[in-house]
Amino acid sequence: MARSATSARGGPRERDETNAARGEESPADRSGPPALSVDGLTKRFGEGDEAVTAVDDVSLTVERGSVVGLLGPNGAGKTTLIKCALGIVIPDAGSVRVFGNDVRDGRRAAYADVDAMLEGARNDYWRLTVRENLRYFATISGVDPDSVAARHDRLLDRLDLADKADTPVRDLSRGMKQKVSLASVLAGGAELVFLDEPTLGLDVESARTLRAELRRLAVEEGLTIVVSSHDMTTIEAVCDRVVMLSNGRIVADDSVEALLGAADRDAVRVASPDLNAETVAGVRESFEIVDVDREARPPTVTVAAGGDRLYDLTDALRAAGVTVSDIRTVQPDLEEVFLERTGTAPDAPSGGDRR
Amino acid sequence: MSADTTPPEEPAAEGTGDAARAGDDPRPASYYHLARAVLYREYLIFVRYPANAIGGIVVSLFFFAALFLGGQLLAGQALTDSIEGIVVGYFLWTLSVGAYSSVSNDIGSEVQWGTLERHITTPFGFAPVALLKGVAKVVRTFITSAVILAAMLVITGTRLSLAPVTVVVVAGLSIVSVLGLGFAAGGVTVLYKRIGNWLNLLQFGFVALISAPVFDLPWTRVLPLAHGSAMLQRAMVDGVRLWEFPLVDLALLVVVAVGYLFGGYLVFQFATARARRLGVLGDY
Repeated sequence: MARSATSARGGPRERDETNAARGEESPADRSGPPALSVDGLTKRFGEGDEAVTAVDDVSLTVERGSVVGLLGPNGAGKTTLIKCALGIVIPDAGSVRVFGNDVRDGRRAAYADVDAMLEGARNDYWRLTVRENLRYFATISGVDPDSVAARHDRLLDRLDLADKADTPVRDLSRGMKQKVSLASVLAGGAELVFLDEPTLGLDVESARTLRAELRRLAVEEGLTIVVSSHDMTTIEAVCDRVVMLSNGRIVADDSVEALLGAADRDAVRVASPDLNAETVAGVRESFEIVDVDREARPPTVTVAAGGDRLYDLTDALRAAGVTVSDIRTVQPDLEEVFLERTGTAPDAPSGGDRR
Repeated sequence: MSADTTPPEEPAAEGTGDAARAGDDPRPASYYHLARAVLYREYLIFVRYPANAIGGIVVSLFFFAALFLGGQLLAGQALTDSIEGIVVGYFLWTLSVGAYSSVSNDIGSEVQWGTLERHITTPFGFAPVALLKGVAKVVRTFITSAVILAAMLVITGTRLSLAPVTVVVVAGLSIVSVLGLGFAAGGVTVLYKRIGNWLNLLQFGFVALISAPVFDLPWTRVLPLAHGSAMLQRAMVDGVRLWEFPLVDLALLVVVAVGYLFGGYLVFQFATARARRLGVLGDY
């Protein structure tokens, strides 16, 4: 036990020492190997013609203390990537290191610092109370539960579960169950936490609360978090950096700001029943048209028209006899970035590939 | 960006986090902590949901009563002569079924709940966790089967030798082999979820093992339960004490128990390793 136990204790304590400096410190300043280092990871499922490459030569490094989003449609390989990192799926090629420990070789050592909330899993015992779950899973992850009782109280406080601490999980609402699941994952003091679709199935309000709490936990506890989601809002709200996956490959890997900045183009979307091939062609003569949607009711055209060009556009529309029923500026979001890079929407399942 | 985002630059909520963190000194958990956690969980579920245990006891007793009263009608005196053997056999059967189904069903449920992989990805490794869970199941099964045994003795008016050490050791070692079968079945369930239910039928096969003709066919002693069952009959019916058994018998009892437990665990290991390659572990 000595090896993993040392590893389990070293982590949180190290973090405490750096707490004072946190805030000014950028993730890259932290010493030691990165929290997660994936190199050339490949995983195929099935054989012959039916084989599906779920993860295709993916390499990725996650620095300590950062919050990274894995964005992609169902079947893009997010879950497989996470399961490979946890060692519950064995890759065909490539390696995964967690805080420098190879997941395949020194699995036990690696496990002390990592935990995960997997999609669709309950992750905890519904017949035990909230606190019993935290204590049980802390022990399972190699930490004496009495020694982290204060941390558990704090976690429960943070997640608004303090007055439900002695309630069996089965009696809680869905949103609360999800939070207990998260708390049980954090209970053992794992420094690297994978959250697979953490807001899936939650109502708008619960999802919003969970997002806010995730962000806060990441900052306050100095956790390294990898969040997978097909939900842009979650990724935008929680992550510093986004890795976009499509068909098992990384199609983009950058900070949220950089990705959004690249998509920034001061566009306006005009909706009008008068938009047809002829009027659109007229607009195209003097403006760059980004997108035309003839199926929309009324049809819309998205035009690059930043600054004063907007006045020119409205003049041109009036001249063409187009009565505008709606006009709005287009805010670039991750969904568009994703669409641009892959040609598919992140919440659409990619063809044939289930994982 | 949505409004609920807290910018990373913002200081931790008014410093409360840092104050509380002072009382936070994670110490490594030892095997003692692990044992306490696993056993305590079993205990909590046992006392919090007594209906499951009571239900099991009632069903077992109902079957026994049907067997006994029906048998009396059909066989009359012949049955009454062998009633002690039947009580002991039935006692061992309830123990076996309890140990087997609790382990295999437990693994099945944990797969469904997504808690199994958390036990596999523990720094302790799965083996000690599984072993402790097995111990917890055996203890629990002994408690319920003791109640059934007491009720059977009352119903039939039989007297048996109930030397606690002898009975617990012999019966305990006998069902350790079944525990191994439970792990194997659980492993198969991880791989092929639908087969799991069929494997429950195996528990009726235990009847054959318990009544295996170990005197006529000595090789059957290496099957699970068979040898232990014969020893338990001698202990409870003839009053043979643990230390009065030949050393060879005791050694065989231990070898069979450890052998099947180890074999079952290997099957489980193999099955989960395969599940990891196939990517079916943690599929809900």
